[in-house]
Amino acid sequence: MRRLIQAVPLVFGASVVTWILIHAAPGDPIVALAGEDGDAGYYAMMRERFGLDRPLHEQLFVYLGRLLQGDLGFSYRQNRSAVGVILDQLPATLLLMVPALAIATVIGISVGTLAAARKNSALDNTARTATLLGHAVPVFWLSQVLLLLFALRFDWFPVQGRNDARADYEGLRAVLDVAHHMVLPIVALVTVYVPPIMRVTRAAVIENLDEMYIRAARARGQSRRRVLIRHALPNAMLPIVTVIGSQIGFMFAGSVLVETVFAWPGLGRLLLSAILARDFAIITAMLLMLSVTIILMNLITDLVYSLLDPRVRHGT
Amino acid sequence: MRRLRLLSAILALALIAVSCGDDDGDGSAPQPAAPAVEEPAADPEPAAESEPASEPEPAEEAEPAAEEPEPAAEEPAAEPEPEPEDTPDVAPVGGTLVIALSDDPGHFNPGITTGFNVHAVTGSMFNGLVELDDNANPHPDLAQWWEVSDDSTQYTFHLADGVRWHDGEPMTSADVKFTFENILLNYHSRTKGGLSSILESIDTPDDATVVFNFTQPYAALLQRLNSTEAPILPKHIYEGVDDVQTADANLTPVGTGPFKLESYDIDNEITLVRNDGYFKEGLPYLDRVVFRVIPDQNTQVLALEEGEVDYIWRVPGGEIERLSGDGSITLHNINSGPGGGFCIPTLTFNSEREVFSDLRVRQAIAHAVNREQILAQVIFGQGRVATGPINSQMAFAYTDDVTSYPHDVDRANALLDEAGYASDGTRFSIDLLVFSFGVFPKYAEVMRQNLAEVGIDVEVMPLDRSAFIPKVFTERDFDTNIISYCNNTDPSIGVARMYISSNIGDIPFSNGAAYVNPQIDELFDAAASTPDVARRGELYGEIQKILTAELPYLWLVETQFTAGSGANVRGLQANSGHVAETAFFEE
Repeated sequence: MRRLIQAVPLVFGASVVTWILIHAAPGDPIVALAGEDGDAGYYAMMRERFGLDRPLHEQLFVYLGRLLQGDLGFSYRQNRSAVGVILDQLPATLLLMVPALAIATVIGISVGTLAAARKNSALDNTARTATLLGHAVPVFWLSQVLLLLFALRFDWFPVQGRNDARADYEGLRAVLDVAHHMVLPIVALVTVYVPPIMRVTRAAVIENLDEMYIRAARARGQSRRRVLIRHALPNAMLPIVTVIGSQIGFMFAGSVLVETVFAWPGLGRLLLSAILARDFAIITAMLLMLSVTIILMNLITDLVYSLLDPRVRHGT
Repeated sequence: MRRLRLLSAILALALIAVSCGDDDGDGSAPQPAAPAVEEPAADPEPAAESEPASEPEPAEEAEPAAEEPEPAAEEPAAEPEPEPEDTPDVAPVGGTLVIALSDDPGHFNPGITTGFNVHAVTGSMFNGLVELDDNANPHPDLAQWWEVSDDSTQYTFHLADGVRWHDGEPMTSADVKFTFENILLNYHSRTKGGLSSILESIDTPDDATVVFNFTQPYAALLQRLNSTEAPILPKHIYEGVDDVQTADANLTPVGTGPFKLESYDIDNEITLVRNDGYFKEGLPYLDRVVFRVIPDQNTQVLALEEGEVDYIWRVPGGEIERLSGDGSITLHNINSGPGGGFCIPTLTFNSEREVFSDLRVRQAIAHAVNREQILAQVIFGQGRVATGPINSQMAFAYTDDVTSYPHDVDRANALLDEAGYASDGTRFSIDLLVFSFGVFPKYAEVMRQNLAEVGIDVEVMPLDRSAFIPKVFTERDFDTNIISYCNNTDPSIGVARMYISSNIGDIPFSNGAAYVNPQIDELFDAAASTPDVARRGELYGEIQKILTAELPYLWLVETQFTAGSGANVRGLQANSGHVAETAFFEE
């Protein structure tokens, strides 16, 4: 509870900083809003209309005043409240991110544990090389290669979107259609998520395998496998939870690159197009929600710690 | 500690956010123009005959008493000329056309913006009084025929019969008057800028007649009345709305067009469904049009190749050769359309900078820049080297009888020597602002190389669009920049803005060079108010001669865009807003 209260000024500070940053950047939304080729009077009128002609500190006060009332602002481009727009896009992003992160967690932890158990084996080396590659390959490039191979060459999956634009499916067929469209973006996202989870798992498990209690367990005659799964892995869980927790935090920003390449209508794309059009309300609202999520995830991670580790729970 | 990490993470994100800019497009019209290689098929059948009451007669036999409809400037397309080039008598009805869109439109009110993504969609839901063909000639749309007074101060439009809004209300002259007076002249940047100072009044003698009265002769009106420049909106919906710009009605469009809105899924797709009561009999053929938002150009191309979409507004230059060998795709050459047509990427010299006050320096740069190389390497031959401020496609106004600046390094060096910039290494340094998206940085790279050869050091500064505009037009903090200026449908709309002295200042895509020449101001004024086309052509010829001699800008290339469609789609008329009005799937 105390930590929750501590988080309030943090969120407030973060929102002020992001607001100032985004307004300090050159450019304003007027052309995106009004179009081109107007005369000076027209643009002046439009700026006045949206309060963009006022001094910056005044605009900041207006923003903060509204923020305190829970109003995150009005999107110039979408012509409605920023929160409404963001909430509309959230499900699409979660639809990609949750399965991707779940799959990445399973793969990352299991491969990481196996690699740790057989340190320097062929499996370990392959896994390490693969994660290094996964880290190094730019995700937009990987996405395009996936498209060229599996959509264009083999024709197994569609190129873009969340559903078939032409078909008017209902019920199960609609679900399958969406699932079909999810495969390639999820593959791309999994390759982004797996490497950090796998590497942290491997390192933490290796560290634990050197501990005395592992030797003691082995000495008591427990099998390697049982020791690994029942003793080493649970004890290695804390850093793994931290990594996954931070990825969940950032999940709400979506993935700009993956969503752009696959034309997936999610939050990442919303953020990008809002930035390009200087749609201030969307940008600040998204960054605010992002910081809140990250702070919440940190709190939750702490809670999970205490569940997993009696040492944390008992404050020793 | 964690707190610090969080804060720095957010900061980093915000910074990335601020500094990144990627978009596709094309400067002053970052949006693809719409094309149509295919002729508009099946022209509107004059619904008139069926309704003897309002007797719309073809202009030729118009009132003997009144102005002779020998309407000066633009020929009134009195009778729809059927051009059934590739349209069978009965086109197959049905099907869903999928069109890729690079960004979400945000709303569907074409009267309050000139933004491409709005107009790309609303063009299928609304009509203008006229529609323009490939060469910007007017054809009937809501107005079935029209008369222009001899001196071009009065235009009378006779509306088509039986036009109804999507909600069933009849469309009348009152809608036209309301749309202009309450929406277009207030909020549509080009229409406001072009008409508000010279339009005296709009009269509606009866439900089917609209009269525009001007304070001075105005020759280019018809080019301003298509669904992009002047879409007609429903009075009964917008009357009494206190804020048109944020009205809920902008999300639930009620138009007269061939399709009506079925659903809008933000950032994903917009589905339009056939308007069964469309006033052009037999049209449209399609059941549905779906606009699918696909931001990445490469993905658009792949989706077209896979048949997931049927039409993309612009094929990237590098893909054209590959796709032209693909029998399942039809490529369309485009030089006009909504969002800007007849475009010329142009180098602006900031005349307020000392170095560019010397004509010889500007001439030297013109000789040093290898525009053939730009044509070949930057736009893959999709266009031609520009000769001056007016696009050669705008035939009535264009002349090639101008001062030209062929690529000539020696001549450039000599001019710079003469101007007193010694040739020991670097003569001087300038910055070059470009949009950070699309092919603009490539223009800059070629020019940087070219100018290095004559000892001019160029610092290229790519900026995203929202940052570029205030830096150039508000702060005027630049030496040179590259912008794709589009002539649009008439030089008085798209050309004059760059040269007239009243257009210097905080106006996007205005006179960025800060060029002042009273003679040019007068010539542009005269050309806009002269009814006679030949005379206008002479005036614009004069303008081109003066401008190419004085060189306030350097016109690089005339760009041509390429759109792509599935080979089974016919009848697309993407040159107009009504891209899908006459489209159909071949069986």
